[in-house]
Amino acid sequence: MIIKQIRAILYVSGTRKHAWQKRDTGLTARIIVSFAVLTILYLGFLTVLVYIGINFIAIAVIASIMIFAQWYFSDKIVLWSTGAHVVSREQFPELHDIVERIVARNSLPKPRIAVVNSRIPNAFATGKTPKSSIVAVTTGLMDQLETEEVEAVVAHELAHIKNRDVLVLTLASLFSTVAWYLMQFSFYGGMHRGRSRDSGGAMVLMMIAAIVTWFVSFLIIRAISRYREFVADRDGAMMTGKPTKLANALLKISGTMSKIPQRDLRQVEGMNAFFIIPALSGDTFASIFSTHPPVQARIQKLMEMEAAMS
Amino acid sequence: MPKSDSDILFSISSAHISLELNLGLKVSGRCAVTFKAVSGSLFHDMEQDLKRFLASLHPEFDLTFRAVTDQYGYLWIILEGSRIEDLLAGLTATSGIVEERGFSDQLLAAVFEFQSERDSSFQYLIYNFKRNNFYPFVPNRGKSRDTEKEMKIMSSVGEEVPFERDMSLWYPLWDLPLRSLV
Repeated sequence: MIIKQIRAILYVSGTRKHAWQKRDTGLTARIIVSFAVLTILYLGFLTVLVYIGINFIAIAVIASIMIFAQWYFSDKIVLWSTGAHVVSREQFPELHDIVERIVARNSLPKPRIAVVNSRIPNAFATGKTPKSSIVAVTTGLMDQLETEEVEAVVAHELAHIKNRDVLVLTLASLFSTVAWYLMQFSFYGGMHRGRSRDSGGAMVLMMIAAIVTWFVSFLIIRAISRYREFVADRDGAMMTGKPTKLANALLKISGTMSKIPQRDLRQVEGMNAFFIIPALSGDTFASIFSTHPPVQARIQKLMEMEAAMS
Repeated sequence: MPKSDSDILFSISSAHISLELNLGLKVSGRCAVTFKAVSGSLFHDMEQDLKRFLASLHPEFDLTFRAVTDQYGYLWIILEGSRIEDLLAGLTATSGIVEERGFSDQLLAAVFEFQSERDSSFQYLIYNFKRNNFYPFVPNRGKSRDTEKEMKIMSSVGEEVPFERDMSLWYPLWDLPLRSLV
């Protein structure tokens, strides 16, 4: 349940650590915390219900109502946790123009537009249906990116909306919620049924199965959401027809831009035996010899698109 | 068996066509190879032989050369000519002689210059001898670079030639002496 919302955010794994470090400003962090608290409350409540012995059907009904409610109010929760506020055309005419240009060209419904007051460039989309969706951008995004790059980012978010990614990931995470619930049920159910050897063994088996299911579903959700990011990159780039602009925006948003070095090759070569793998440790090692962080994988795909289009 | 430096350098002979078709980048007729100069007679002899060799190419190949030492103590062999095959032959012969004389660790980079038909900016492919691959370098005025143009170069020839995927290793070579000291 936690993951489904944050997946709508433009950048995901590459900078999540970064977002956590800046807890007061990180959009991802705020959404994760809000949904984590909600999920804990909600699983705790179900656990209590199971513990006091309410029957299976009743609990299943209550659980599905709660999941539905979480999905139904997801946009409000996201807006609340990020501090995004919906803005009118009078307040942000240029932003409205950008969104309208893309939706008009691609015959999409115009979403509501929200702005988050944050210096860190980022954007996200949320909403249950394409018509009731919200695209939010930070003030930092508008300040630091060029118009065409903002357009590329907005198109990426519109692609998430068009592809109904919030719904897709809600359904995917339903699986893990059910697994968790089964695990709880088998645990307390087993306790109530007494301690005969048979039911004890069955209980352990069921718990293992539940844990494995939960873990596998967690991995699947991650895989699906990574895939959805690539799809949104592709569809977004199709909407604007300019993959390079999205690639450039990704570089700026993720901070990878600063990874493209400014120091001269001759200087670096002179300072240490740079290309012979030295005894560097920790972060230095990771930053210098990082293989292919997700942002680079996404840029790679976008540039392949660019190559195919030119 | 891994490809040799000269094999990889020669892949430019086909890649430059893609760059011209996709991005309007034309071979400017200039390229260079640079290596760290060291003191000692072996290196000095090699340098003299290299210059004699390059001078002897002239009537047969359409190729002129200059040697420049930069502020970092790197020796640059800059080649000019109108035919890309001759430029590449000169480039690989130069790096070949350096390697042959036991100075392969000194080899830093080969630089190939392109000029845009669209905005006449100079754009470069840099070959890193330690990594055995290419990366793009597009300097703006001042010490900044045009990453967008660099990424376009990657999109155009990234699959065609061995390419550096890790952008954090795209080290610039500022103040390239390819044109400045004619």
